[in-house]
Amino acid sequence: MIVDARGVSRVFSMPAGPVTAVREVTLQIRDGDHIAVRGPSGCGKSTLLHMLGCVETQTSGTLLFDGQDVSRLSDARRSLLRLRHIGFVFQRFFLLPMLTARENVELPMSEAGLPRAARQQRVRELLEYVGLAARADHRPSQLSGGEMQRVAIARALANGPRLLLADEPTGELDETTGAQIAALLDRVNQSGTALVIVTHDPALANRASRVLTMRDGQIESEQVA
Amino acid sequence: MRLGVIAWLMAILLPWPPATASAQDATPPDVLVSRHLAEAEDLRVGSVIRLALDATGTKAREFRVAGIYEPTPDPSRLGQVPRSVRLHLPDLLDMTRPLDVPAGAEYVASVNVALVDPADAEQFARDVNARLPGVLAQPSGEAAGSAGPFRVLERFHLAIAVVTIVAATVFLLALTIMLVDERRETVGVLRLIGLPVRRILVQILLEGVLVASVGAAFGLVLALLSEQLINLFFQWRYDTALVFVRITRDVALTCVAIAVPLGASATVVASWALLRRGGLRLARR
Repeated sequence: MIVDARGVSRVFSMPAGPVTAVREVTLQIRDGDHIAVRGPSGCGKSTLLHMLGCVETQTSGTLLFDGQDVSRLSDARRSLLRLRHIGFVFQRFFLLPMLTARENVELPMSEAGLPRAARQQRVRELLEYVGLAARADHRPSQLSGGEMQRVAIARALANGPRLLLADEPTGELDETTGAQIAALLDRVNQSGTALVIVTHDPALANRASRVLTMRDGQIESEQVA
Repeated sequence: MRLGVIAWLMAILLPWPPATASAQDATPPDVLVSRHLAEAEDLRVGSVIRLALDATGTKAREFRVAGIYEPTPDPSRLGQVPRSVRLHLPDLLDMTRPLDVPAGAEYVASVNVALVDPADAEQFARDVNARLPGVLAQPSGEAAGSAGPFRVLERFHLAIAVVTIVAATVFLLALTIMLVDERRETVGVLRLIGLPVRRILVQILLEGVLVASVGAAFGLVLALLSEQLINLFFQWRYDTALVFVRITRDVALTCVAIAVPLGASATVVASWALLRRGGLRLARR
């Protein structure tokens, strides 16, 4: 079991009063799972994803990552958890604009303390894996949207995470490019990495083995393929 | 110099016809004239001049210009062009002694003593006062109260410096917050990747120290250039050798000691304010 969330809620304090983004959600994620989370805007999909990725901590309930209670971990420990075990892919890619594709992918490995030779070897493998070996020395501004998302996926896979979290990964891409990215994510999942995708795109959601539908911060239904 | 002691006199140069052959037979005593006087009267070494106590020619005597000197700059006489002559003490006494005072009846009321280390002045004055009853020795800074205006000026400079540093700190902090905010997306991505807050703060601190050090070095170079320009301008403006600005080693070290920690601290404070927000909120503009 990678993630074991039991009755987790997340309440945000707002000037107009507290807002409950996620309410009493219970969810387990195992190695190799492929989960899609769907639902209308503002239903709490992204907040749930951020809690699963240890970016946000729950207000109530218990969330165990690899058996560790995330709410009891320090910022440094949660950061280390993200660095070593969780990969993120976002709609807007979030690549560092001053670094090349190679350097963007290398960054998490560098922070994890991987030796230089091993890093370079791994960067080559990952860029080949996402089909961008020829664009290794290009900066994000020199890449198309689909290419930037491939680099972002390669970066997310840099330290061999057990869990890959994707928030609308095809949201800014055209249909063809989106399908290519979806196929790439399928391939990542088939290699054993658990994948959780938040998406509005039915085609992308239908690729998952479990589809969760959220409404008002709660999981309304779960379909298993 | 005959006695090795030079006195000075605010001289009155009388108009004088060119020296005659008989006058040249007896070599007149030597004097030194200030550069300003030499320039104003077109005097050169070897010129013969006539000095008197007043414009009517009282006790007028001839002297030969043996040298031209640069007067010791005196801040309290800024703006005055020193047209002065230095005479040997016997010549000065001859000229200035009243007619009814016999030679040798002169007395010295005060003596200025220059110490190798001015910091010894207090101790030196205590020693002299203890050993020579009837003699009053005191550090020159306390003597005539002439340093008063400069002390006020020094305090004024200190006040300006404090206000400048406070204002610069506020400006620097605001600037740093803007610069750090420019990098919020980068910081947010680093947080999402898994870099802990401390790691990012250390990185930013190092950058802050580097930028502050380069800034301090640039500031010192600018100050040294300004020092030259300001001194050149005011020395030209007031025709003086006074040094108006001096960047000493202590001043430079004080500036660096204030600037570098201040710059680094401003960077860390600005970064800390930013890093308190979640990585995702940082990455999403």
